[in-house]
Amino acid sequence: MRLLLIEDSARLQASVGRGLRKAGYAVDVRGDGEEGLWLAESNEYDAIILDLMLPKLDGLALLRRLRANKNGTHVLILTAKDTVENRVDGLQAGADDYLVKPFAFEELLARVQSLCRRSYQSKNPKIDIGDLEIDTVTRVASRKGKQIELTPREFMLLEYLALRRGQTVSRTQIEAHIYPDGADLMSNTVDSAVCILRKKISREGTPPLIQTRRGMGYVIPDQSR
Amino acid sequence: MNSIQKRLIITLGAICCLLWCAGSIAAYLATRAGLISEFDSALKTDIQALANMTEQSEAGLKFDATGEFMPKFQREENPDYFQLWQDDGSTLYRSPSLSEDRDLPQQFGRLQSPRYWNVKLPDGSNGRAVGIRFAPKEDEDTPRSPGSPPLTKEVTIVAGFHRAELDNRLSYLGIVLLLVGAVLAAATTVAVNAVVRRGLRPLSILAQHAETIDASSLQLRFPTTNLPIELQPIAQRLNDLLTRLEASFTRERRFSADVAHELRTPIAELRTVAEVALKWPDDLSEQALKEALNIALQMESIANGLMALARCEGSLLSPSPERVPLASLFQEAYHPFEAKACEKQLSVSLDVPNDACWFTDRTILRSIFSNLLSNAVDNSRPASSIKARVEKNGTGERLLISNTNDALVTDDIPHLFERFWQKDAARSSPDHCGLGLALARAYAQSLGMKLDAELNHTEIVFTLSEATPCDRQKADSAFLNWS
Repeated sequence: MRLLLIEDSARLQASVGRGLRKAGYAVDVRGDGEEGLWLAESNEYDAIILDLMLPKLDGLALLRRLRANKNGTHVLILTAKDTVENRVDGLQAGADDYLVKPFAFEELLARVQSLCRRSYQSKNPKIDIGDLEIDTVTRVASRKGKQIELTPREFMLLEYLALRRGQTVSRTQIEAHIYPDGADLMSNTVDSAVCILRKKISREGTPPLIQTRRGMGYVIPDQSR
Repeated sequence: MNSIQKRLIITLGAICCLLWCAGSIAAYLATRAGLISEFDSALKTDIQALANMTEQSEAGLKFDATGEFMPKFQREENPDYFQLWQDDGSTLYRSPSLSEDRDLPQQFGRLQSPRYWNVKLPDGSNGRAVGIRFAPKEDEDTPRSPGSPPLTKEVTIVAGFHRAELDNRLSYLGIVLLLVGAVLAAATTVAVNAVVRRGLRPLSILAQHAETIDASSLQLRFPTTNLPIELQPIAQRLNDLLTRLEASFTRERRFSADVAHELRTPIAELRTVAEVALKWPDDLSEQALKEALNIALQMESIANGLMALARCEGSLLSPSPERVPLASLFQEAYHPFEAKACEKQLSVSLDVPNDACWFTDRTILRSIFSNLLSNAVDNSRPASSIKARVEKNGTGERLLISNTNDALVTDDIPHLFERFWQKDAARSSPDHCGLGLALARAYAQSLGMKLDAELNHTEIVFTLSEATPCDRQKADSAFLNWS
């Protein structure tokens, strides 16, 4: 899952960004409204965390321009402005959620997870594919009750493919959703990551869950269909 | 209820009714006097006719009753009366209507100015009497003998006439005036009510407008067009008051929002640093701890600033005046910002004589300089200059510190000294929270000085005025010692 954090406080950029990365998200961080808007329109994010009081372009104006340009990325406003009018303004400008500073990091994380799930029309925090169970809250994947050791990025990749099960996901889409802006990507980075993940979740005697569509990308078949 | 409208209606109604009553009474009395005068005039004619019918001769007095004149004294219904007395009080003649056992009251005037009075007539009805005393003319038919003295006998005639017609006319007049008065009083009440309500309508509209204004609608204003000129100053003053209230509310709201931001952001930073560090303790870095310390220091700085402001506003500061050399104090205050100024290639020009000194509190004045210089160094355009100079200002002196500032506009100047005000609406600067200039002004006030700001194009000039130079302090001390 790839997030954009637009926050002018360098300390919050660092601490929230670090926390979200540790939670398994790819996070891009920007400190002013203009750059934030440019990034939001240039990339495909699963959610945007947006401060309101920003230099150059304030958060509400950014949000309105985003929505005016038909960008439907879920936006969580994270601000010190706490009045009812502020919340109403934020939500009416097109925000999906509103969180007032100071906040509990766990709450921010839960709200971000909820927004990301909503991006894929999923309300259940657990994804079951056959005997594979993915808990998007605890960030744990298990198969037949046996926990699978995954790095945050591997979990992100598995979660992304699982949320889009039944659909072929291209390498470009994987790069856009799993890796942060400016990450040093080799041409086979995605292939290697998928290969390693496939091995970790594989079980003897069963076909691999992640299948390759040659020239198109990867897919986890939807077993409920 | 204390209502202007009610009081006006009652007072004006009462005054109008009183005026109507007084006018009616005056009209009644004047008409009554006219009618009585007219009636009396007729009585005078009648009694003079009776007097003409009385003659005297050497043989005695004679009353020649004429049939043509006598019917009113003879008729059976409501007859008039008269009685004629001789000098000795004996009755010479009485009207046929007056019985022998009844006498009329005897009062009289002269022939040309008879006496009139109201009287109860012998038949019991109200009447008006007229009486004269006069010398009857001599009888022409029996002339006086030659050489005899003139005849000087006098007689008294009193006549009583029915006044029912006069009384009826007066009663009619009274009733008409009463009815007209009542109708006019009622009409006046209605008219006064309508006029007062109409006259006070602009006041009612003003009151209704005032009722719609509360803390959430301070942007509303009282309409001043089409308002009576008497109410225009009130509406104008109320509008001025609303403008000040709105500005005050806006300032308070901005202050609350700014305080919230200034305090919530570092708390959020600290909390997130701590929570992330606790959630992933294996990854706890020295950087996180340093950040926590920096946040704590920033919050301490805000708390100290607010405490200092509270001490100034509560007059809890006790300045200790002493001789303070300005040039050296300025350089001392500038020293901490020197490195940053060099980095921005700022030059500082100090046009302050070496011997210039003020009699004031050194520590507080240094804090003012520090705040102004910190502000100047941070906001000046790179490679520009910060200038300071001292000027005479009446009997005192003032210090002017100027620097370039491309961000400010004239409208910002009134807000410069507000607590937590920052030009940058995003409040992104971690080094400033907007308390410095507010604190500098509060410090200046605690020293009895004034700190103002003025924008000349892109140059902001801070003026610290009403300072007491040391030589004037000496003069004041000398004057005090001498006196």
